[in-house]
Amino acid sequence: MRRPPAITGLHGSGGIRIVTLDWKPVSWATVVDHYAVYADGALIGKTVYPHFVHRGLGFTGVTRSYSVVTVDAAGNRSAESAAAAVANLTSVTISGTPVATVGTFDGKGSELALSPKGYAQYPTRFPADVDYTYGTSTPAADWSYLLPGPADKWAGSKNHRATFRFDLPAVPEQDLDLALWLIDSHASLAASALLTVNGVEVGRLAFANGATKGSTIADSTYPGSPLKPSYLEQPLPRTLFRPGANVLELFKDVGSWIAYDALGLFARS
Amino acid sequence: MPSRRTFLQLTGLSAASVTLGISAPATADATPARPIPDGAFALGVASGDPRPDGFVLWTRLAPTPLATDGHGGMPAVDVPVQYEVAEDSGFRHVVRRGLAIASPELAHAVHPQVAGLRPGREYFYRFRVGTQLSPVGRTKTLPTYGDQFTFATASCQAWYHGYFAAHRDIARRAPDAVFFLGDYIYEYGIVAGDNLWRAGVAVGPEHGVEIETLEQYRLRYSLFKTDPDLQAAHAVAPWFMVWDDHEVQNNYGAANSLYGVPPELFVHRRAVAYRAYYENAPLALDSLPQGPDSRVYRRYDIGSLARVHLLDTRQYRDPLPVDEADRVSEQRTIMGAEQEAWLYDGLRSSRASWNIVAGGVVLTAVTDDRTEQWDGYPANRRRVLEAMGGAGTSVMLTGDIHRHVASELQLDERTVGVELVCSSVGSNGDGTDTDTYAKDWLQHPNIKLYNARRGYVHSTMTRTELTTEFVNFPYIQADANAQPNILARFRTPVADPRLEAL
Repeated sequence: MRRPPAITGLHGSGGIRIVTLDWKPVSWATVVDHYAVYADGALIGKTVYPHFVHRGLGFTGVTRSYSVVTVDAAGNRSAESAAAAVANLTSVTISGTPVATVGTFDGKGSELALSPKGYAQYPTRFPADVDYTYGTSTPAADWSYLLPGPADKWAGSKNHRATFRFDLPAVPEQDLDLALWLIDSHASLAASALLTVNGVEVGRLAFANGATKGSTIADSTYPGSPLKPSYLEQPLPRTLFRPGANVLELFKDVGSWIAYDALGLFARS
Repeated sequence: MPSRRTFLQLTGLSAASVTLGISAPATADATPARPIPDGAFALGVASGDPRPDGFVLWTRLAPTPLATDGHGGMPAVDVPVQYEVAEDSGFRHVVRRGLAIASPELAHAVHPQVAGLRPGREYFYRFRVGTQLSPVGRTKTLPTYGDQFTFATASCQAWYHGYFAAHRDIARRAPDAVFFLGDYIYEYGIVAGDNLWRAGVAVGPEHGVEIETLEQYRLRYSLFKTDPDLQAAHAVAPWFMVWDDHEVQNNYGAANSLYGVPPELFVHRRAVAYRAYYENAPLALDSLPQGPDSRVYRRYDIGSLARVHLLDTRQYRDPLPVDEADRVSEQRTIMGAEQEAWLYDGLRSSRASWNIVAGGVVLTAVTDDRTEQWDGYPANRRRVLEAMGGAGTSVMLTGDIHRHVASELQLDERTVGVELVCSSVGSNGDGTDTDTYAKDWLQHPNIKLYNARRGYVHSTMTRTELTTEFVNFPYIQADANAQPNILARFRTPVADPRLEAL
């Protein structure tokens, strides 16, 4: 038995609930069956690509030791690659203090308006799109479970906006963190939305493609749920904010819908 | 380390052919070092790539075909496999005996290349490993002249959608050759209550996910190849095999996946998918993949009766068009420049009465939005039709659409040949005679048949005419026993190509 070569260059980066690993594949001279990926010595998956995403991790950061074994066409196994220590990120919903939120960060969208499958009523329930005031509005009545995009015929094939209003007693002392969790999104057209805070364009939020199931199913947490949740968290500079009324807007001007889990701003403690 | 191609050049074919399951050293022991578990030939036998003096034989040892590591229950050692070729099914007149080494690198597949036989005649073959004998296969060499040639065409055998009555009937008719036009396997997860429509079967959870690794592709071939009617069709005639998308992934093209896998990653998937295809098909060594590439477009001469051109319309295709100007661009190609030049050379130099061109997707113009087939590459289609127009009458064989379609191939006002699109063997289950897509096809006066049931096509080619039967089945999901129905018959004169209903 000849051992195939081990891969080199294993490295990774942490995200919310995931760790993304990449490496340099062995040359084509080795006919690869697959790469077996290990975390702390346990097999977590097999892939034919020099790339693997470790999913289903917790919301609190944990450092794990990853390694990869090359399995060739004959079933021979390489030595373990050099290990890479990578931590998933701790969510700001764990590390921060909520300032203003809509929905609960729990993998479900069932507390939101029109959930689980009322999307066809969106044009009549939200003819001027979502305009939500934290502290006054209620999720079940005022925050649609989906944010449609221009690719959605059922929502008029046009751009849509979600406006989230909240008060601050003062300009925050540190930057705030935005958490936008999705239970699912369209499988190929999740695309992006333009994020604006108090009239200032902050940038585009790029959404991960999901499974196109969250328009009819609200729960991503039960075993076998077909939904593909994703998590966006990013800092918002403190200078964007002002005392009194603030407004955050998501403008979906490309692609299709996203399905919310929850949205919120968190202060650093 | 030298590439495999360099390795072949350095060591010569004979050494390489040992490691690649084609032959064995003269001194090799024909007895396995240890016994092989019973049922080693559970995936059957096959032949393909016929020539006037020989063909490629195939088998893959797999006593436990559905072992989840893709190795079929074989020990991870080299195993000698004997084969013999005879003029009679009783093996009284054996004309060739040989030995090939089945190795774990190729999932214990062997591809012996038999040469030096007589043209245009029937042969029988079988394998032996230890004390186990394989089923007997029948095959044929190609003729050097060719008065008549019979062939079946089939495609799209989603095992989980139904039984393979089409293969059973092909085996009964024992044509001179079988053209299989792609979607030999499907990559999708197979899930009861969802897409598992073949009544009375169950599959384990290892079959319930989209395949990606070599062990998963190997296992998928094993699952489909356990079907006895598919094995019977392989064992009855040499196969000309063409691939389409599902041998890798739905609607892929070149290095482009439609499912968000970037090209620099997707080539690794293509490499294992092509590898598993080679391992499971009676293909000559020319088609052994080199990394993520595999040359499977190739040519045969059926005497001076017909020249056969097998196309690859997947590996070299341009991406889906970004807009109408892109779609109709003269530069667009579904074949790639090299293969286009090869086809036009082959058509130009052919002296045969007929040209059989076999590909994965439909050539005939249908609608501008069918960009996955040649409707997405109209400039390439026109170049092909022009080349066909300068050669003997063309017969285009395609599948992919799970429908029987018969079409006259038109270049401006002239008919340069016919296209015979075979329905699926399994994909889409029972089917119905017509459906909502029918109007897209039947709006064209050159399209003479449309039917949405499962089946195959049988053709008889002579030096003056082609007679074609479209065969379908009333059902396929409940069991394998549906009786064939001859849906339509057409006659195509070589001197005046058209589809004349019989």
